[in-house]
Amino acid sequence: MKNLIVNDFKRLFKSLVLWTVIVGGLALLMLLLFPAFEDIYADLEALLEGYPQGFLEAFGLGEDGLVLENIYGWFGVEGYLFVLLIGSVYAGLLGGSILSKEEDDQTIEFLLTRPITRSEIYLSKLLVIMVNLLILNAVVAAVLGVTFATLDTMNWMLWALFSGAPIILHMIFASTSLLISVFVTKSRTVMSIALGLVVGLYVVDIISSLSESAENLKYITPYEYVNAVTIVNDGRLEPLYLAISAAIIVVTLLLGWGFYRKKDITA
Amino acid sequence: MIELNGLTKIYQKNVRGMLDISLRIERGEIFGFIGPNGAGKSTTVRTLLNLIYPTSGTATIDGKDIVKDAKAIRRQVGYIPSEVHFYASMDVQSFLDFSGRFYGRDFQARQRELVALLDLDVTRKIDALSFGNKKKVAIVAALQHAPKVLILDEPTSGLDPLHQHAFFDLLLAEKAQGTTIFFSSHILSEVEKICDRVGVIKNGELIQVSPIETLRKSTVKRVSLIVKEPFESRSKRIKDLIIDGDKVSFVYTGPIAQLLKIVDAQAIHDLTIENPSLEEIFMHVYERGTA
Repeated sequence: MKNLIVNDFKRLFKSLVLWTVIVGGLALLMLLLFPAFEDIYADLEALLEGYPQGFLEAFGLGEDGLVLENIYGWFGVEGYLFVLLIGSVYAGLLGGSILSKEEDDQTIEFLLTRPITRSEIYLSKLLVIMVNLLILNAVVAAVLGVTFATLDTMNWMLWALFSGAPIILHMIFASTSLLISVFVTKSRTVMSIALGLVVGLYVVDIISSLSESAENLKYITPYEYVNAVTIVNDGRLEPLYLAISAAIIVVTLLLGWGFYRKKDITA
Repeated sequence: MIELNGLTKIYQKNVRGMLDISLRIERGEIFGFIGPNGAGKSTTVRTLLNLIYPTSGTATIDGKDIVKDAKAIRRQVGYIPSEVHFYASMDVQSFLDFSGRFYGRDFQARQRELVALLDLDVTRKIDALSFGNKKKVAIVAALQHAPKVLILDEPTSGLDPLHQHAFFDLLLAEKAQGTTIFFSSHILSEVEKICDRVGVIKNGELIQVSPIETLRKSTVKRVSLIVKEPFESRSKRIKDLIIDGDKVSFVYTGPIAQLLKIVDAQAIHDLTIENPSLEEIFMHVYERGTA
């Protein structure tokens, strides 16, 4: 197992670096814009007044929403989304391809004729996914820690929540894509599905906050589970959402494992 | 060493892969598994390696169950696939090391030996290799960890005659050390060279298992005549009758005395009776369905 994990990690390291640079870089970029806007905060606030309430809510602004005055509110509106969305794209693509690529390239026949079980292969791939997502998020956490402390007063609780919450979302997309990839092994198809899921559910999230009638949609979009408004204003994540997230991750992973264990590898 | 008991695989939509195959292969034996494409050879091989699960029946390798003890079996088995698909971006050396490390035993010395024997350039990338060279990589990857059992699925496809010869010598050396070899192929002539026994599979069913000698000594004869008068015989034992002027040839199955009677009834200039190639025997087995 160690052999496979090390090999996969090395093979995927370049793409991990690339995605980490993109996600970390975008977060940093947005955070660095904060001082510039801080000075014109009053004007900005006046400008936003002109927008309809529903529209503002979609971005976590408006009444009961975030204020752009401090860096946490600013990050919640301007940077956090990139970490969630682009990180999820990475998580979805990684989760959807890491196992199915072996079948798509037919290298699974080689792998599964070495002394290793299907379960061990599945677990190895899962560990590589988790390690890669943790590395990406650790780098982002470091970026956040440094910029929060430099540009504003440090709030460790909010830092921990902003750093930790994306991991939950990323794991949801990674484990769901992994489950799908047990059945759909064509790389292109599984990547399209993963990407569609990540972007599609984000659209659902926007719709649910834009329209009152679609409010119940928020339960099916995992972006809502790690909402910046709850983080900044309540200083926590919604326990119900945490429970749903944990359930989704555990159930998809177990289902994927169960099906993969019994799967025929045909030529 | 390898034992199959009523091993059956029915794919979805009732496509049958193999049907009720029972077979026993002894330690140190080279067993040829023969049949045309689509007969169920690969299904059998893939089931033995637990790449696919059997629908019913069981099989053991070295006393271990192919489903429950798949990992333990894989530790003892070297497998050469018919089509080689390896990690394209790896170079040969790191690929072979990657493969070897799975087994947790020393393989470096044997690897160098095999690489030298097959003239393999280990610095090249996998995806830059020709089909034949990929096959060589597969051979090294299957043999370097000194397996007790070799499972070969069309192992020689892509190899040039020189290296094919080296490969057969390699297999015979393995056999001499007690390695059991399951050799699946659709090319009879190569099986004929090296196998102790041959099993014939047709439409998923094992229709005949016999020592290679028996198969060769079977009373199937290729008969060529030069006749004085038009050839006439209604014997059902005559197959593939070709009449070209005074030249007549056919394949005969049955008692030799009977053949002599048929020939005797004919006025002839010349007579040749040959042992047919295994290919012809094989075709014959296929026509009859069972033997």
